[in-house]
Amino acid sequence: MKILAMNKIIEETTIDVCESVDNAVVIYTTRQMAAQIGFNEAQQFLIATAASELSTNIIRYAKKGFVILRTISKNHDSRGIEIIAKDNGSGIEDIDRAMQEHFSTGNSLGLGLPSVKRIMDEFFIESSPENGTLVIAKKWR
Amino acid sequence: MNAEKQKNSSSNQIDGNLALQILQQIPTPVMAVDPNLQIIFMNQAGCRFIGKNFEEIKGTHCYSIFNSTHCQTSDCRMKKVIDGGERFTARNQVNIDDRVIHIEYTTAPLKDDNGNIIGGIEYILDNTERVRQEQKLREQNKIIMEISTPAIKLWDRIVVIPVVGVIDSMRAQQMMDTMLKEITQTSAKVIILDIHGVAAVDTAVANHLIKIAKATKLMGCRCIISGISPAVAQAIVQLGIDLGDINTNSTLEDALSDAFALLKFEVISKK
Repeated sequence: MKILAMNKIIEETTIDVCESVDNAVVIYTTRQMAAQIGFNEAQQFLIATAASELSTNIIRYAKKGFVILRTISKNHDSRGIEIIAKDNGSGIEDIDRAMQEHFSTGNSLGLGLPSVKRIMDEFFIESSPENGTLVIAKKWR
Repeated sequence: MNAEKQKNSSSNQIDGNLALQILQQIPTPVMAVDPNLQIIFMNQAGCRFIGKNFEEIKGTHCYSIFNSTHCQTSDCRMKKVIDGGERFTARNQVNIDDRVIHIEYTTAPLKDDNGNIIGGIEYILDNTERVRQEQKLREQNKIIMEISTPAIKLWDRIVVIPVVGVIDSMRAQQMMDTMLKEITQTSAKVIILDIHGVAAVDTAVANHLIKIAKATKLMGCRCIISGISPAVAQAIVQLGIDLGDINTNSTLEDALSDAFALLKFEVISKK
């Protein structure tokens, strides 16, 4: 999968994620950031949903990790939001299958990762048993 | 001309001794290491922080002194700047003589006049109080989340449960318990789950809602999910979630009139 381009970082927050309370922090911080750079309410909700999806995955599968939320810019005036979710869990065995709709190893709907990809404009995932899972997703205004 | 310029710029600079005094007296630890992570400078606050004189630690490896979570791992931000990184800030936990201190440290490369990297600089901020506050906030958040989901009897055989904030599996279970108990206690026939105040409907939340609706149905009760705002509706579509035959409404008011219709109630205004 293609590595995403680096963008100029305007603001960055790191949130440690290990229990569902942290998920709440991720959701509220994402919404706040999305609102700040001018996403409308429906978009804020969608981006927060994507962030929540990723942090829920961390809690459910890896138990512990972190989420970095960034406001980013490219070409001077285009602004966006970047969500980085990283854990040191055992990794996703088959990424291609995890990216398919209705595939789940954990008694869930199996829609999470594909929907994050659908909601966001750019999506990158990397996973291995040694280094855990890294997901980077960006949404531009 | 050139000489004059140089003279001007040098007059803008403070002399080396004062610069050192300032560095020494900055009230937070400042340290510099060579490329082998051996300490070449530590200011007074830094020496106080680790409880040793500079003479004792000069030339020792910084990891043997700080013994932090990042030390000698790929997380070490000092190594990253020595290897060409520009600037890093990270949280860390140091272990000095059985003391565990939460810190936030920022590193930058140390360069000579020609711009070659000859080591790294870092400054440390004591984060202990902040970590404690965050812990407290975390516990408070937990308490807020744990406050039981209220079930309100709205009408004869109609119960409404407003859901606010973040739903996780524990809370979903609580909601399920509350609802099922309420159904038996009030012999409710319609339960309205108002999700207007939910912060995000991701697939896990949707999964919980579907399960709750199914369970209520098993107990012979209809479940209406209300408070589907435009944002929630879009999220559910984007997520590709099939809510099946669960009744949904955009407002609580609509849900209530649906409930009335289901129970064959009629609201008539007095003449």
